[in-house]
Amino acid sequence: MDEPVRALRQRATQELEAATTADQVEEVRRRFLGRKGELTRLLRSVPQLPAHERAAVGAALNQLKMWLETTTNRPDWTGMLGIAREVAAACRGRLRERLDLVRAREMEQRLRAEAVDVTLPGRRPPLGREHVLGRMMEEIRDIFRSMGFEVVDGPELETEEFNFRRLNIPEDHPARDAQDSFYLDDQHLLRTQCTAVDARVMPHRQPPIRLVTVGRCYRRDVVDSTHMPVFHQVDGFMVGEGIRFSDLKGVLAEFARQLWGPEARVRFQPSYFPFTEPSAEIAVFFRGRWLEIGGCGMFHPRVLETAGIDPERYTAFAFGCGVDRPAMVRYGIDDIRLFWENDVRFLAQF
Amino acid sequence: MRVLWSWLMELVDLPTPPDPAEWVERFAMLGLGVEAVERVGDDWVFDLETTTNRPDWTGMLGIAREVAAACRGRLRLPEVRLKETDPPAFQVAWVEVADPGLCYRYVGRVVVDVKVGLSPPWMVERLERCGIRSINNVVDVTNYVMLETGQPLHAFDLDRLVGGGVVVRAARAGEVLVTLDGVERRLHPGALVIADRERVVALGGVMGGLDTEIRAETRRVLLESAWFHPAAVRRTARALGMRTEGSTRHERGGDPERARFAAARAAQLVQELAGGRVLRGELDFYPDPQPGRRVLLRPDRMRRVLGVQVPDSEAADILERLGFQVERAGDRWSVTVPSHRRDVEQEEDLIEEVARIFGYDRIPETLPVEILGVGSVEPAVEAERRVRQLLLRAGLSEVLTLSLVREADLDRAGIPREHPLHRAVPLRNPLTQDHTHLRPTLLPCLLEVLRTNRARGNADVHVFEVGRVFRTASGGWEELKVVGMAQMGRSLVGTWNLPQEAVRTSFHHLKGVVESLLEALHVEDWELRPQALPWLHPYRAAALWVGGQPVGWLGELHPEVCERYDLRDRAYVAELQLEPLVRAARWAPQYRPLAYTPAVERDLAVVVEGSVPAGEVVRVVREVSGGLLEACEPFDVYTGPPVPEGHKSVAVRLRFRDPARTLHSEEVDRLLDRVREALRERLGAAFR
Repeated sequence: MDEPVRALRQRATQELEAATTADQVEEVRRRFLGRKGELTRLLRSVPQLPAHERAAVGAALNQLKMWLETTTNRPDWTGMLGIAREVAAACRGRLRERLDLVRAREMEQRLRAEAVDVTLPGRRPPLGREHVLGRMMEEIRDIFRSMGFEVVDGPELETEEFNFRRLNIPEDHPARDAQDSFYLDDQHLLRTQCTAVDARVMPHRQPPIRLVTVGRCYRRDVVDSTHMPVFHQVDGFMVGEGIRFSDLKGVLAEFARQLWGPEARVRFQPSYFPFTEPSAEIAVFFRGRWLEIGGCGMFHPRVLETAGIDPERYTAFAFGCGVDRPAMVRYGIDDIRLFWENDVRFLAQF
Repeated sequence: MRVLWSWLMELVDLPTPPDPAEWVERFAMLGLGVEAVERVGDDWVFDLETTTNRPDWTGMLGIAREVAAACRGRLRLPEVRLKETDPPAFQVAWVEVADPGLCYRYVGRVVVDVKVGLSPPWMVERLERCGIRSINNVVDVTNYVMLETGQPLHAFDLDRLVGGGVVVRAARAGEVLVTLDGVERRLHPGALVIADRERVVALGGVMGGLDTEIRAETRRVLLESAWFHPAAVRRTARALGMRTEGSTRHERGGDPERARFAAARAAQLVQELAGGRVLRGELDFYPDPQPGRRVLLRPDRMRRVLGVQVPDSEAADILERLGFQVERAGDRWSVTVPSHRRDVEQEEDLIEEVARIFGYDRIPETLPVEILGVGSVEPAVEAERRVRQLLLRAGLSEVLTLSLVREADLDRAGIPREHPLHRAVPLRNPLTQDHTHLRPTLLPCLLEVLRTNRARGNADVHVFEVGRVFRTASGGWEELKVVGMAQMGRSLVGTWNLPQEAVRTSFHHLKGVVESLLEALHVEDWELRPQALPWLHPYRAAALWVGGQPVGWLGELHPEVCERYDLRDRAYVAELQLEPLVRAARWAPQYRPLAYTPAVERDLAVVVEGSVPAGEVVRVVREVSGGLLEACEPFDVYTGPPVPEGHKSVAVRLRFRDPARTLHSEEVDRLLDRVREALRERLGAAFR
């Protein structure tokens, strides 16, 4: 009587191996384990068998179960019914296993068909790039803001009054030569220095004042690789009781370290500006050489007086630094005109 | 100022011999920036940048005085011992100052029987190393003494001066002078001139005249060493577009005492090198000699301003080494300024002198006690920053363009002459033909960016600029902040396998950028109205209105303008005024509760005449639907069968929602009926 069992096992094996889709596996399940399935019928027939045959069939079924299931024989399978149930369960387990395998293969096939070439370029809107000078100016604003300065703005179209006179630069002052200006009429010009903003704002405030402004300035310079008639400056000042030259050094050295790196060396050298006294030039040691970044000093008492601030009670420092040339050095740009051409290949480098 | 090391060393006595290599740094720390250093033979030439407040630094002696002070050495003045002979100079020549406002001191010296010839080699070499060409021994002496003392001198051929003397006066209308360089110059009335009895013979302090120059046959020389008013020299030189060794020195203002010394020194050298006799006495116009200025210095204030403890003794020592006389009286020192330091006018100037010689590097770095508060950003600056950031996020790159243009740029950009945007503010003194006006709009600047890029094969360009424009306005000018945008080429990167039309930038891409900006600024009350502008494609152009005001324009560039810039592609440009946008923006939006009830979506295909804009359909839908309509978005526009000729189908998706309850389908259907009815009535719409 173990003959039908063996045959059954052989067929089930073949069919299951042949099943390559989930549907086919289900079909195999139905044929063997369904309500009218062959194994079901065989199992149902066991109770009716004569006792001597039962043992043989039982053993055969046991073998079938062992094939169907990975677990080893268990001693509690005494009764035939128990064995039959186990066989059915094991059979289902075997089926599920096959089903999982087939499903995994199906999924793999589907996904493989969907493979993409990861080396093709990504699709995206173009990336908006900050202009390298725009970025540097933002950085500068942030640095001074973090040091307690108020960031303000002023007009580019200025009057003689603010650009020169209130900064202690009367007419016929030789300092005006160094700042050859574009005039609109006798009284109006394009600001040659952002210090004009200082003069404009100071009378409207009460000390302590800490202000900084970043923007465009204009001078009648012939265009070449290091000059443009339009350029950028950062300019600021601090007024208070007890503002010292050493504070000027401290604040600007901190600024330089923020912009040029913590190990940046800063040098202050005597210089001359009509609106500061003492005056200094600031230079930063970068890539093996001194780079002049701007001028500074203690506001001239006359400038404070003109702005309605008592120079006996208050002292003030002021500074003005270039943006364009330091940016050239910082980014290794050899021609200032590149800033203004706006070649997208240039813009995309920053 | 070119400083010859060997010459400098002749003028100082130093405790230890200095090393010129070390002085590159040291000059700078005194305020004499070193522009260049040259080794010439065994000598050094320092090209020093001298600040305009220091007339004394335009001569070797001034530099020497500084070096001596810094090194605790002594200045060695060249010894002037004149052998004067009769007759007295005043019997032979005369000097007059007609306008004392032009000249504060005029010293004349007369040398007769000179033999004009070549200068000795040592002098030629020195002059040349300092950048001055040798002319003849008399002229060379004037230049040499100028280099030595900083005092510009001039030598006249006395025999060619009509009336045997000179007068300093203002030029009269119509006067003309041929200067040493052979150029005939028409003088403006008021120019500072030196004249004889009949005519102008020199531009005071700027350049001599050709006719009275020293030549081979000159026998009698009148040497001029004067203190002209700096502003007068400056005005005279500028009006004629001239700049000479003399004028730059005079413009700084000099030392009236130095003028006398230099005249004697020059007379001595002329006698030594060109023979002749120096006539007795000097012709000296100096009606108003001023005593040395006294300036108050409070050492405590000095220490407070500098932030460093300079001891009284050191401060006084520094000042004295520089030639100041210090009378110490408690905390109120009276400091007498030497004549060569007329730039020192008040306490701060003395404080700087002390700091300079004390050493800026010895002043510590401190942080102001007043740094306590947090910094801030003015709203206008912050707004500009945000707009920049938003446009960067929208995929545009920032550009910076020159604010100077010419009118032809505006013509090229297609702005008609009579258009308000053509009203550019002219510069009174432009430097070049390319930069004659201030830009009234960013348009030509941005088109130039497109052109440059296109010409270099960069086909995809998406840029913006936030900047100022300037326009003539009633009673003057106005300065406005605007944001300009320009786009061309593909609007995506990585466009393999995508159809061209899906990738090319279009009007609606540019509009999308503008929408992003408005959305991010939370500007709600805005609309685009079709508006033809001369530089734009007449049917692909619009004005942006915010809060009932036009604030800018956008559109496709007119094909003719495109062609003028050789773009070979469609380009899209926009310009918006920043200020009204910023005013309409909501910077601190408030939370509005989210609706969690389900939404009901319906599509509607509205067939209208081709001329009806989709926006009209949306507007009608909105008006009729009331508060339940959450969104209405066109998703397809179609022309062609079965839509009748001259018509189009605009498909819109409507989303309804009531935040408080679930909507019934029938309710939405009834709403939709009303929408259809309204569309039919107002726009003559049919439905597909």
